[in-house]
Amino acid sequence: MTTLLMILVLAIGVYLLAVLEHWISNGRFQFSAPAYSAIALLGRESVVPRKPDLLFFEVGPVLLLITALLAAAVIPLSPDLIITDLATGALFLNAALAYILVALIMAGWGPNGAYAMIGGWRFLGQLVAYAMLVVMPITAVAMRAESLMTTDIVISQAGLWNIFYQPLGFILFFIAAMGLAFLPPFDLPTAEGEIAGGVEAEYSGVRLAIFRLGRLVLIITLAGATVTFYLGGWNGPWLPPWMWSAIKILGVAAVMLLIGRYVPRIREAHLLAWCWKAGIPLALLNIFIVGVLLVEYP
Amino acid sequence: MNVELIWTLITAAALFGVGIYGALSQTNLVMIMMGIELILAGALLNLVGFWRYLHPDVAAGQMFVLIVMTVMALEMAVGFGIAIARFRNKGSVEMEEAAELKE
Amino acid sequence: MITGQAIFIGFFGLATVWFGIVVFRTFSMVRSAIALLFSQTALGAMFLTMQAEFLGVLQIMMMATEMSVMAIFMVMFMMDPGGMGEMDMSHQKRLSLIAGFVSFVGAVAVAVFIDWGPVTITVVDTAKQTEALGLELLGRSMLIFETAGITILTAMIAATAVAIKPVPLTVNNSTTGDLPVGDFPVDSLPTNSLPAQKEDKAK
Repeated sequence: MTTLLMILVLAIGVYLLAVLEHWISNGRFQFSAPAYSAIALLGRESVVPRKPDLLFFEVGPVLLLITALLAAAVIPLSPDLIITDLATGALFLNAALAYILVALIMAGWGPNGAYAMIGGWRFLGQLVAYAMLVVMPITAVAMRAESLMTTDIVISQAGLWNIFYQPLGFILFFIAAMGLAFLPPFDLPTAEGEIAGGVEAEYSGVRLAIFRLGRLVLIITLAGATVTFYLGGWNGPWLPPWMWSAIKILGVAAVMLLIGRYVPRIREAHLLAWCWKAGIPLALLNIFIVGVLLVEYP
Repeated sequence: MNVELIWTLITAAALFGVGIYGALSQTNLVMIMMGIELILAGALLNLVGFWRYLHPDVAAGQMFVLIVMTVMALEMAVGFGIAIARFRNKGSVEMEEAAELKE
Repeated sequence: MITGQAIFIGFFGLATVWFGIVVFRTFSMVRSAIALLFSQTALGAMFLTMQAEFLGVLQIMMMATEMSVMAIFMVMFMMDPGGMGEMDMSHQKRLSLIAGFVSFVGAVAVAVFIDWGPVTITVVDTAKQTEALGLELLGRSMLIFETAGITILTAMIAATAVAIKPVPLTVNNSTTGDLPVGDFPVDSLPTNSLPAQKEDKAK
């Protein structure tokens, strides 16, 4: 029962995010825009390239959607509105999100096209950059909560949100989350002007609809993860908890989509250099600072 | 001696066997490393099976598994470094041509 | 006595071994790497079924990244990563089949014929397991943990050092700047700050 309710809430959230994305990129707030474009996508011809690796070509987008849904299973919207409250919830989120890479590699290798393949391998390079920046801030968050369960992490922020307690970790996690969701400025796998759409290029029709849907669910999941780890989850004064969660998640997702319109795309080499030379020492410093703070102010 | 433990051990033995077949029959360094990954996966499964069904209250069993996982990752990293160096020198990583170290 | 756990362990075990066999049966290299990835995922799922939750999640997470790195190395190093030429790149097949079979039979014999002692069915709660693992890691096994940390650092430095592309020494025995020239009137050249990019021609 809770599972069905959560999936319904996730579907509504994805629809609202699609409306937001349309508003941000087109300037018009049209509530029926995602429905029209979904119908248009489903109605279009599904072009299969010549001699694809059929197994990977079909499985890629579906794996993206399934992985994003699995990762959303540990995000709590309110104290009892969570699909599965695993004891290692935060780590499970990271594990499920690692399969986004597998999905994009499959979607890149499957269509037997040069641009798609380059997009897929670029995402591997991007993962090498952001992987540590996802895990180390989660470590610092779990240190404060003394548990890996996502509900415990939210409960531990009842006094002071983690964004004020560990601002460095928040910045790093936010950047890494944008890299994980391949949003601009980290949209190397699906770079529009550069590699002709990259991983998305060879898909059309139903498969493209599933790919886009998976991408939207991924953005919502990552916004949910940011809210759970750093923005206090469902904590808030007057409104019911689930409404606070919804507002915060949509707000974070809107900020993630907005930043992409003003920042140019970052080159792979620069991304790797900055993340490894600056990001990882900062993440370790964040763990150290949080450790000292936890000892001083329990 | 229950069904689950026996089945776990048999699966680990099968993984070990497939890994040895792969490590011995492949000529390419990357494929040999895949065989080694399967061998280590069999060992890991055995460790977790023994921990779970014989001594579930001893956390050192899980500790052992963590160390083996770490070693798996490390040997892959160093192995791929060697593969890159070899590829730069010779242009291929076929192990049949590497029987003698001089050209 | 077939419990639910036994059915899941059986299913995931079969999946692991089947994907492991697919690794060496297929001609496409990328499919080989991805099949190994799903084999390790099924192994992680077996860990989760056996209620070793932290280990299962860790295995699933680590192996996804490692096997994808393996996939890109396959594409870099192999001559036919798509498998379209259907070349058979194996040697000493009979010996390795016999060796694999003998080791499998030996391990199964050890597993079936030894009395493993009393089997404990109940496990502690997974949250307490994680806590116990953490306490063990930083308490009794601290020395092992620190040695592993130093080993990881050494391996990272070693792998990077082996894989770095060597830049040849140039005129003034410097590795940056200046052109790699022999006896050439260097003083008449305008100095530039580009590093020497001519290693391929030197081979």
